Amino acid sequence: MSSKVLAFINFKGGVGKTATVVNIGATLAKLHEKKVLIVDLDPQSNSSLWLMRPDRWREHVARGRRSTFQIFDDALQGKTRFNFDEAVVKGVETWTGFTDLPRLHLLPAAVELLRVEDRIHELRAPVIYQILDSALGTQFKQYDYVLLDCPPNLYSTTKAGIFSADSCIVPYVPDYLSLSGFQVLAEQIAEMREKFAPYLPGRRKPNIAALIVSHYRQTGNVFRLAVNELELSMAALRAEGVLSDQAVLLQPYIRHCVRVAESTSEHLPVILYAPGSIGAQDYADLTQRFVDLFERKK
Amino acid sequence: MNYSDLATRLSQLGERLGRHSEKLEGENLGRSAGKLASQIDHFEEQLESYLASRKSGELLLESLLRSPASKRHLTIAQLKHGVRETCGKRMKSEDLAAAKREFIELVRGAGKQDQAVEFLKGVFAEAVHVESGGKDKTLLQREFIHLGQLLDEEFAVEIASRTFAELRRVAAVNGIRFTDKTNRERLTTLIRRYAQRAALNVPGGVPKAIGRAKVIGSN
Repeated sequence: MSSKVLAFINFKGGVGKTATVVNIGATLAKLHEKKVLIVDLDPQSNSSLWLMRPDRWREHVARGRRSTFQIFDDALQGKTRFNFDEAVVKGVETWTGFTDLPRLHLLPAAVELLRVEDRIHELRAPVIYQILDSALGTQFKQYDYVLLDCPPNLYSTTKAGIFSADSCIVPYVPDYLSLSGFQVLAEQIAEMREKFAPYLPGRRKPNIAALIVSHYRQTGNVFRLAVNELELSMAALRAEGVLSDQAVLLQPYIRHCVRVAESTSEHLPVILYAPGSIGAQDYADLTQRFVDLFERKK
Repeated sequence: MNYSDLATRLSQLGERLGRHSEKLEGENLGRSAGKLASQIDHFEEQLESYLASRKSGELLLESLLRSPASKRHLTIAQLKHGVRETCGKRMKSEDLAAAKREFIELVRGAGKQDQAVEFLKGVFAEAVHVESGGKDKTLLQREFIHLGQLLDEEFAVEIASRTFAELRRVAAVNGIRFTDKTNRERLTTLIRRYAQRAALNVPGGVPKAIGRAKVIGSN
């Protein structure tokens, strides 16, 4: 199976990163029959808590054992306690008490990941980047899509995610603070491309494949102008060689939808919780474009 | 609980029941076993129907017809076209809900579920395809930044050389909303305001006036 490993990153918080990961992942599994793994690398564990009931999540990741924390802890301790089959959660539990979306798998995060950044400097640079790739690279091959939900920073956990990914996806909110952050992010990823190159022989180097706009509102000029400024920035960054010519701004833009916010409390992706909502419709269309982009249909 | 856990539990129960079956008796146990057997009948029926519809492709077909993409993009005309294309038949229904039901019936009758699934996927993919805007859009965006970089007097000269229709194209492509009532003067003000903002916010696009101010300030 040819898997596509995609890191969802933005070092600005509140840009809809987790919502994008969870809902694209669920839509890929539900409507496109793709086998999808979501890897939660964020100590806030938002993807995990969106897709798992809090009591189940707490029990599952107790002491960080069956979570992504264990991968980093093993690297720090020189041990191999992480067991993928024990850690992975298959499907999403619905109110029937049974799981739905059997093709959607989750590798949950634990708050213990917070401790990783304090200690990771004990390892040498290439080893830090390769942690995730070494632990999960072979597991990734059984999936069509692996979506890495990275924390809102560019520290070591995120770098490990970017290293193991074929491409990066940048969730984005149309405002100036996001725009300025994106310019820095694009430059940082271009730097990582240089830095990682010697350790990635014969593999794709980190690049931004797509930007996804969330929290979009169609009223007035505000968001149209902000998206236009993003397009202009992308053109300028392409001209500077910072951004690849293939990087695209994916449409449709995800509109603000209260049903999506509500679906977090129900621990369900919006396609299961409110399939008729505009949020579910936007994610369905976006996922179609996503498949077209990564499977080069159009 | 997931279905794999349930399967394990049923296997363990079956094994235990088999081991003790010749010793089991009594009204309470019998009544409970009767209920369980009837539940199992019902579950087997559901499971059979699910597996059959999955195997034939009908499950995915129904799932696509109920999907958010279907709600937004699918029309009766497309369904009629789909039936003609996949089954060579005509549809009679004139409202969407009935048309979806008829679509499934006709497709099932012709055994063309897989083709119908491909047809719907094609419709949804086509519906979300967005034209890039091409070179025209790129040129008009570049022009917008250029306008934002100009000094007031240069901007006035540039604008004077353009038709109102050209200005409307620059504004529309660059996200400025206007109506039929928006006159040339107002549109020029909007373009000036937002082109300067874009030039300031986009890397490498600093307006000349601000660039000059910086130089003056640094002296």
